[in-house]
Amino acid sequence: MAMSSSATLVLETRDLTVSYRPYGLPPVQALRKVNVKIALGEILGLVGESGAGKTTLAKAIMGVIPQPGAVEFGQILFNGTDLVRQPEHKLNQLRGRAISIIVANPRGELNPLLSIGEQLTNLARFHLQASVRQARQLALDMLRAVKIPDPARRFRAYPHELSGGMAQRVVIAAGLICAPQLVISDDATSGLDVTVQVQILDLLKKLARERQTSMLYITRDAGVAANFCDRIAILYKGEIVEEAPTAAFFAGPAHPYSNLLLAAFSHHSALRKRWSREVEPLAKDEIGGSACLFADRCLLRQGRCFHEHPQLRELAPGRFVRCHFPVERPSS
Amino acid sequence: MPLPLQNRFNAELKSAVWSLILERTGYGLRYFVQFLRVYPGYAAGYIIVLTVALVAAVAPLIAPYSPVNADASVYLQPPALSHVLGTDSTGMDVFSRVIFAPRIDLAIAVIGTLVSSIVGSSIGAWVGYFQATTGIRSFLSSTIMRAADVLQAFPVFVFAIALVAVFGQSINSLVLAIAFVNIPIYLRLMRSQVLRIRDMRYVEAAYILGVPDWVIIGRHIIPNSIAPALAQLSVNIGWSILLTAGLSFVGAGVRAPTPEWGSMIAMGFPNVMTGQWWPSVFPGLALAITVFGFALIGASIEFLADPRRRRTLASGKPPLPTQA
Amino acid sequence: MVILRYIGSRLLFLVPQIVGIVLVGFILIKAVPGDPATLMLGPMASTDSIARLRTDLGLDQPLPVQFLIYLQKLAHGDFGTSWQTTQPVLSDLRTRFPATLELVTYGMLLALLIGIPLGVLSAVRKRGAIGKIGGMYGLVAGALPDFWLALVLVFVFYSELHWLASPIGRIDISVIPPDTITGFYTIDSLLTGNWDALGSSVQHLLLPVITLGLINAGPILKMTQSTMDRMLQADFSQYERLCGLPPQLIMRHAFRNALPSIITIVSVLYGFLIGGAVLVEIVFSWGGAGQYAVQGVLNSDFNPVLGFVIFSALFSLVVYFLVDLAYLAIDPRIRH
Repeated sequence: MAMSSSATLVLETRDLTVSYRPYGLPPVQALRKVNVKIALGEILGLVGESGAGKTTLAKAIMGVIPQPGAVEFGQILFNGTDLVRQPEHKLNQLRGRAISIIVANPRGELNPLLSIGEQLTNLARFHLQASVRQARQLALDMLRAVKIPDPARRFRAYPHELSGGMAQRVVIAAGLICAPQLVISDDATSGLDVTVQVQILDLLKKLARERQTSMLYITRDAGVAANFCDRIAILYKGEIVEEAPTAAFFAGPAHPYSNLLLAAFSHHSALRKRWSREVEPLAKDEIGGSACLFADRCLLRQGRCFHEHPQLRELAPGRFVRCHFPVERPSS
Repeated sequence: MPLPLQNRFNAELKSAVWSLILERTGYGLRYFVQFLRVYPGYAAGYIIVLTVALVAAVAPLIAPYSPVNADASVYLQPPALSHVLGTDSTGMDVFSRVIFAPRIDLAIAVIGTLVSSIVGSSIGAWVGYFQATTGIRSFLSSTIMRAADVLQAFPVFVFAIALVAVFGQSINSLVLAIAFVNIPIYLRLMRSQVLRIRDMRYVEAAYILGVPDWVIIGRHIIPNSIAPALAQLSVNIGWSILLTAGLSFVGAGVRAPTPEWGSMIAMGFPNVMTGQWWPSVFPGLALAITVFGFALIGASIEFLADPRRRRTLASGKPPLPTQA
Repeated sequence: MVILRYIGSRLLFLVPQIVGIVLVGFILIKAVPGDPATLMLGPMASTDSIARLRTDLGLDQPLPVQFLIYLQKLAHGDFGTSWQTTQPVLSDLRTRFPATLELVTYGMLLALLIGIPLGVLSAVRKRGAIGKIGGMYGLVAGALPDFWLALVLVFVFYSELHWLASPIGRIDISVIPPDTITGFYTIDSLLTGNWDALGSSVQHLLLPVITLGLINAGPILKMTQSTMDRMLQADFSQYERLCGLPPQLIMRHAFRNALPSIITIVSVLYGFLIGGAVLVEIVFSWGGAGQYAVQGVLNSDFNPVLGFVIFSALFSLVVYFLVDLAYLAIDPRIRH
């Protein structure tokens, strides 16, 4: 698919740094100098474990980082405009319209007192200035597009009457109804049954391709990202540690952490064993202040890893890795 | 379980419980001090209540006059140096009576509320725990709940006056009346808490492991249900003081000439129309400030116990970035 | 059809609830020491006449029998007689209950007018001055004794400023009260075109309504504020924000979600105030039902007390029932 370095960039973060500063405590860095690029029509998968900072990135882009967090440094460029410097009302105009987010736990996120049709038409009316009838038509079209059976009847349904899969489709419809340029999916499919998940991902991909929508697909599950995304970025402790086109990534990941992630699901028991060996915890004095963040879990660590923080470097065109000793693989 | 293993299990359980208590109290105290530093306004509640209690305790030492000494020659004197808050229609010094009154008001309200909280919570916990089980316990718990419904449908004030009439007009009967009237509140509160905790997985696990009922109630259910009851307690005490004052105002409470804020307001009532405001206004002011203090304490306990707000106070454990 | 069945089942529960309340009231009243016969005839009466009166009143029967007799009379609409007013309790209550209802209703309206907007504002602007003022108001209003506030208002506006007429009763002594249609002086005078009565009754309503309104705005404000805050923090509000919906719309939706809790506390307060406004009634010599019952207890006059208890319980039950219907209308989740 598209190479992010040359095509027009819908989203670009430059050295984005987000910290949380709770009262009376040392600050916690949620994102450290994160550089993410998404081109027009590209689907970027962002994979990371819990606590890596994925949701923080999504919230940063949407401009809703909760207290006591804030963007400390860096830029978030959306079609060239820095979102960090924008006032709240401008951001609100973008939300739901130019950048939308598909959330997990859809039944908890939809308003329980309004029918789903009403919630969709609200979006259409406020963002697209549609009339009541136009909005209703748009909503119905969208419900049909997300393959909700009997959309006219479901239009009047309430969120608690829907199953998880259907509610997820409604949220997707809400995310796409204003034809945004960037859709962020924050762990949106993780709670669903596997068969439903496959259907929804196929649907999303089809809709995204049809409308040339860019997507930021955030997930904990690297395997799901394989079929779905054009490029993969791995987030660890707030840092991007690897970034590559999907095929190249899954053929042979370069960063030790990526290998750990994939090995966990691998068929090859030897591979699994190899990467799941217990790593000895380090003594406090062994780690310098500027060590590699993954060093204490890394199987391949060496002396240099404890004292020098690795930078992101380009191994091959489009492949970036943040490691002093990336894994060289002929093939697996 | 074989016996040596069981002994070891008990010993480890005991030490675990102890360390948990120590950790929680230390943690709790640090948290409380931090809370007052961030929100100094709440400290006012504690200061008010402590001051009132202190004043009541040392009233005999600091009152310029006896609270029941009626000197008819100085009746209805406006506030002046000799009588800082003036005198009432029988010549008693308002200031002395105002500072003696909390002895009665606080005692009645605190004791009555404590009794009702203990009795009500116990019954409520029992009802909540055994509800929807089969057999006589379930029937009993449903009956108790219906009885509580009926009691709460009764107009509170009339009920309290009737209770005082039944038990005879004395301080003890006031305490009993306050206790009675408040029992349904704690009953309901504890019952709903118990129902909530009872359905949690760790309680289910304990039950499956064979832990006896009373241990489950004492170790899991009660510690997790206490916080709302504590917040309610403080607010309740304030409200009970108001009720006592109201009862005395209609003449069903403390008898004259015992100093009590409500009866003082009642005695001064006819004089307010003719412009002598001090016999009624000052006791009411003292009453309002005291109840306000209790309400503030209750609000602070509610804040402290709310797990969501706890995170914004940085309780010594930094929040994970994704938790925010 | 579902609604009818629901109404039917609720009505079915009504009867045993009322009987339960009457039973508790009856036991309570009978526990109060004091012989009604002696009280009615006075200290000078002979033992013979007292004994005769006791038989007439049925006081010599065993208690369960007395209870059943009372229930039987109740079923025929006979609430007994008050020996203080020498009138049937039912006719006493027919004037007094609307008096209390009028006072409490206007008081609640004022409390809603103050409490809900302030509550919403302080939830929306939590960190600002309004938020803090809102929190303080709830605490202060809950601490003020209502009878004391009434006295203070009387002192300021009547004794000192002379802005208002005498704070005694519902209407000026020189003015003829309107013909009784609803029992509400304000409504009746409007309906009959009696402008003097309207003006006078409004004037007399001012201070007690302000008292009740100011104080009861407190709990309403607190509940509104806390519920609105919870709704604004809830997932769906965050999601609406993520969808870029305008803040006013998010606020309106949050308020709609908060309505059930607000309605609950309004209904509880309303039922409570029927008996709970008695102190204010006493200060203003209102002649209301609560006052009537309190005097009954203090003087061992039992029928008014029981009558009042039944009236107020019925009222509460009706209010709760209406509230449940309102829930059905608001929250679609309940309908299933």
